[in-house]
Amino acid sequence: MIVNEWCMYCGECAGVCPRCLIEVRESKLIFDPENCKDCQICIQVCPVRALEKE
Amino acid sequence: MYTSMPSKSIREGIIKGDFMIINTDVLVIGAGPAGSTAAKHAALNGAKVTLIDKKSEIGAPKRCAEGVSKDGLAKLGIEPSSRWVAKELSGVRLVSPNGTDVLLDDDKVKLPESGYILERKVFDKHMAMDAARAGVEILVKTIATGLKRGEEDQVLVDVESMDEKFQIKAKIVIGADGPESRVGRWAGLKTSIKPKNMESCAQFEMANLDMPYPDCIDFYFGSVAPGGYAWIFPKGDDIANVGLGILTTKTDKTAYQHLLEFVKNNPATKNAQPVELNIGGDPVGGMLKDIVADNVMIVGDAASMVNPLTGGGIISGMIGGMIAGKIAGAAIQDEDYSKKRLKEYKDKAQEEIGDSFKKYLKAKEYLLSLSDKELDSIADAFQDAEFESINTSELIKLLIKVSPKALLKLGKLF
Repeated sequence: MIVNEWCMYCGECAGVCPRCLIEVRESKLIFDPENCKDCQICIQVCPVRALEKE
Repeated sequence: MYTSMPSKSIREGIIKGDFMIINTDVLVIGAGPAGSTAAKHAALNGAKVTLIDKKSEIGAPKRCAEGVSKDGLAKLGIEPSSRWVAKELSGVRLVSPNGTDVLLDDDKVKLPESGYILERKVFDKHMAMDAARAGVEILVKTIATGLKRGEEDQVLVDVESMDEKFQIKAKIVIGADGPESRVGRWAGLKTSIKPKNMESCAQFEMANLDMPYPDCIDFYFGSVAPGGYAWIFPKGDDIANVGLGILTTKTDKTAYQHLLEFVKNNPATKNAQPVELNIGGDPVGGMLKDIVADNVMIVGDAASMVNPLTGGGIISGMIGGMIAGKIAGAAIQDEDYSKKRLKEYKDKAQEEIGDSFKKYLKAKEYLLSLSDKELDSIADAFQDAEFESINTSELIKLLIKVSPKALLKLGKLF
């Protein structure tokens, strides 16, 4: 997952991830790409479209 | 490797720079209003409590429109303070897509649910300070990264604070870690929110607004915010929170794009300028069923303690926190941290918060089923309606009178 520079770390992506693969830090998103099933719900809900598929 | 430390506090242990396991009775993860309230009440009920927050500043950035009811604060025993009340409200204005408005202010009606707009950055800190005064140890810029069951009926939480990594061994963990909650999931609870139950929100705090009713909160319905609504919540003078929530299942645009359009088109914000942008998810699917596991409770947004109709969750989250904190304190005294013991929290929260949400969930579904035209005609019908006392429930009763569709969908509930 590409996290664009304008991400505001609000955590909405983490809240909807069905597999709990996103950790939101104060100014960092950490993805667990190994277990990702590419459902892309995280990309869909982002209020500022900060996430992009690699 | 880890060794047990006799440190009096976690902070002391960090200063010593040793790897360690810290023992506490109750660990609260997340110092928003729900977490701080839970921590405070657990401490007041005799527990040793540690409260951690991943951010460097409690309360910032806000992810919230900052409205609370006066009744709600009173229920929590919180005296309003000029430090964190930005604005006292005297009414509500509902605006349909074509601009027809229904004004409900205290000249016309009794407003038992009237309230305040808060300064959340100050309010959240105030609540954490209250917890501190009750004896809670607080660590900021400290994040929980994992949870596992330890021996002796306790849980071990992996924690990072700057370059220090340590573990906190707790009898009870209260997850107040927001809509992105991981604590619940670590404990095996199903806390993941479906996109249809997550309002995607964007808000500007703006100045230089031209508000026709600067003492009222404004709600705008219809295609301006698909799956939600837009709001203007005044914060005094010409300042307001201007925002909206949408369901991403109902629009291809982002919440931010909808916000830019709303600000451009609304007469009140034409000349307004933003000084802050807030974004975030608001879980509006009704309170989660599973909020308790062995040694673990979840509160606030993490448990979807949010009114599904209004999206408001400050008071309900804090009430959940108060119940969880009291029961955590009692459970520590009883030395019983089992799911069976902590279920008292789930039952009380269901009774005080969850049950009332069910009818609001129906009301939301009804509201979202209306076209712009239907909303306009309802606003028209409201023009001649007589109001005496208005709260959310009364408003829906009135809606049932003017709309046959509302009668069909909500008649039995209100």
